[in-house]
Amino acid sequence: MPGEVFNPNPTIFRTEKPSSSRLAQKRSLWIDEEENTDIDEDNDDVEAIDQDEVFDLIRYISDPEHPNTLEELRVVSAPQITISGNLIKVEFTPTVPHCGMSTVIGLSIRVRLLRSLPSRFKVDIVVKPGSHQSEHAVNKQLNDKERVAAALENPLLVKTLEGSLEETNRRGRTD
Amino acid sequence: MVIDEDFTYSLQSVAELGGHEDRAWHAAWNPKKPILASCSADKSVRLYTYHEDGEGKLSVSFLTSIPTGHTKTVRALAWSPSGTTLATASFDSNIGIWEQELDDDGEPGEWECSGTLEGHETECKSVAYSSNGNLLASCSRDKTVWVWEVVPDSEFECMGVMMEHTQDVKCVSWHPKEEILASGSYDDTIKLYVDDPQDDWYCVNTLTGHESTVWSLAWSPNGNYLASGSDDRTVRIWRRVGQYEFKCVLTLEGHDRTVYSVTWGIGKGKQEDGYLGWIASAGGDGVIRVWELKEHSTSEPLSHKMLTRFTDAHSVHDINTVVWCPRAGYEDLLVSTGDDGVVRVWRVTPVSV
Repeated sequence: MPGEVFNPNPTIFRTEKPSSSRLAQKRSLWIDEEENTDIDEDNDDVEAIDQDEVFDLIRYISDPEHPNTLEELRVVSAPQITISGNLIKVEFTPTVPHCGMSTVIGLSIRVRLLRSLPSRFKVDIVVKPGSHQSEHAVNKQLNDKERVAAALENPLLVKTLEGSLEETNRRGRTD
Repeated sequence: MVIDEDFTYSLQSVAELGGHEDRAWHAAWNPKKPILASCSADKSVRLYTYHEDGEGKLSVSFLTSIPTGHTKTVRALAWSPSGTTLATASFDSNIGIWEQELDDDGEPGEWECSGTLEGHETECKSVAYSSNGNLLASCSRDKTVWVWEVVPDSEFECMGVMMEHTQDVKCVSWHPKEEILASGSYDDTIKLYVDDPQDDWYCVNTLTGHESTVWSLAWSPNGNYLASGSDDRTVRIWRRVGQYEFKCVLTLEGHDRTVYSVTWGIGKGKQEDGYLGWIASAGGDGVIRVWELKEHSTSEPLSHKMLTRFTDAHSVHDINTVVWCPRAGYEDLLVSTGDDGVVRVWRVTPVSV
C-alpha cells in the first residue's frame, strides 16, 4: 500500500437504512427457506435482480483509505447502478478526481459482485463521467478481464481487497 | 439451437470437454498429430485426442493432464510446427517448453518440461512459433515482445526485445510463410516486426484503427491479410498492400461485447478464384460467428458472407478462444474455450436441403 493518502479528509454522509428489497423480505418471511433465498447460479428459476439488491451487495465495502464504507463516502449509490437483462453497469464516484485508489475500489466492487452474483451476469464498472482525471484508463483497466484475473493472482492486492470486503462479508446478506 | 434460414452451414457440437477447474483460456491443435491441448487458470494443460470412425463421425477423448508447475494461470499455448513441442505462456511471467519423453519401451510417455524461458517481468499473455519453427515469440503486460531462437537440446537464445507498445501486449502471431511478427496491444494498436540482418529485430509498421484493446490476431492462410479482434467489438481485416504496408479493407461487426478471439483457416468452402478461407470470431457475448471471405481483385473490398452463428456456445459464459484445426481433412473443426472451464469441439457442417 502506498503511503500517500489521496483524500485525507473525506466528507462522510448519513446512510439510508438497508433497502427492503425482495430478497430481504424473503429471508425474513419464512422459517427454513433461508438456504433457498441465496442467489444461487444453480437455482433453476432465473430471477430478475434490481438496483437495490446490487447496491446492498456493495454498500458496505470499506474504502481502502478510510474507516468508512463506500456508501458513507457516497462512492456508490443505488441510482448509479443500471441493469438491463444480464448486463449490470455500476458507476462509482471517486472522492477526489486524483484518487489513486480508484482502481482498487473498482476492483473490490468487481470481486464482490463476482463472488455474489450468478455467473450469467456481465458486469461493467465505470467511474462517474468527469469524476476522475484518468477516467478512461481506470475504466479500461477495470473492464479488462485478463488484467482483473492477473490482479486476483497477486497475493498483496488480494489481501488489500479482502480487507475492504471484510465488513461487507459480515453485513452482506448473500454470504 | 436455431438455424437462421439463410445460413448454408451450421455449427455442430462434436464434444464438450470438462475437467478444467477454472476458466479455460486457450486451446491449440497439434499441427501433425490428432492432439488438442487446452490451458486454464487452474494452471494445468489438458491433452485430448480425436479420431473419425468409418462413417465420418468424430469422437474426442481425454489423453492426459500436465500439472505444468506454473505458479499462476496458464494463459496461452503454442505447438511447434513439427508438433513435438508445446510452449505454455503463464501469468507467472515464464514460458514453459514441453516435450513427450520416451518410456522404457521406447513408447511416448510423460510430458516433461524441457525448458523454462525467463525474461518477462510480468504476466506472459501469448506465445507463438514461426512457420519454420526456428523462432518463438512471446509478449507480456511488461509491454515487451521477445523473439527467441529455438535451439534444439539447448537453451533458447533471446534474439530481440521490442519495447514499442505503450501498454500490455495481448497477443503475438507469425506470418504463415515469412518471418514477420505481428503483435496486438492494450494500447489499441497492432505492430509488425522483422529482423534486420545487420542489426536487431525492429518495428516496421504500426496499424491503427481499432478503438480499444486488440485481443487477438490471425493471418490469412495465404499471408496476404491479417485479421484482428478487439474490445471495440469489431474484427478488422487488413490487406497487405506493400512489403510491410497494410490497409484496413473490411470491418466485421455484430459482436455485442469484446471480441477475445479470431481465427482464420482454410475451411472447406468452394476453392474457387479469390477464395480466402473461413474466419471464426468469439468473445464476451458468447456467440461464435463464422464467415467466408473472398477477394475479387486486390483493389476492391473483400466480400464476406456469414456462414453460421451459434449463440450461447458456452451457455452464459464468455468465450476466450476459437481456433481452426490446421490439419488436412479437418479444416472444418473448430475448438472453443470458455469462462465455464469447458473446451468445446465443433464441426462446421453444410445444411442439407
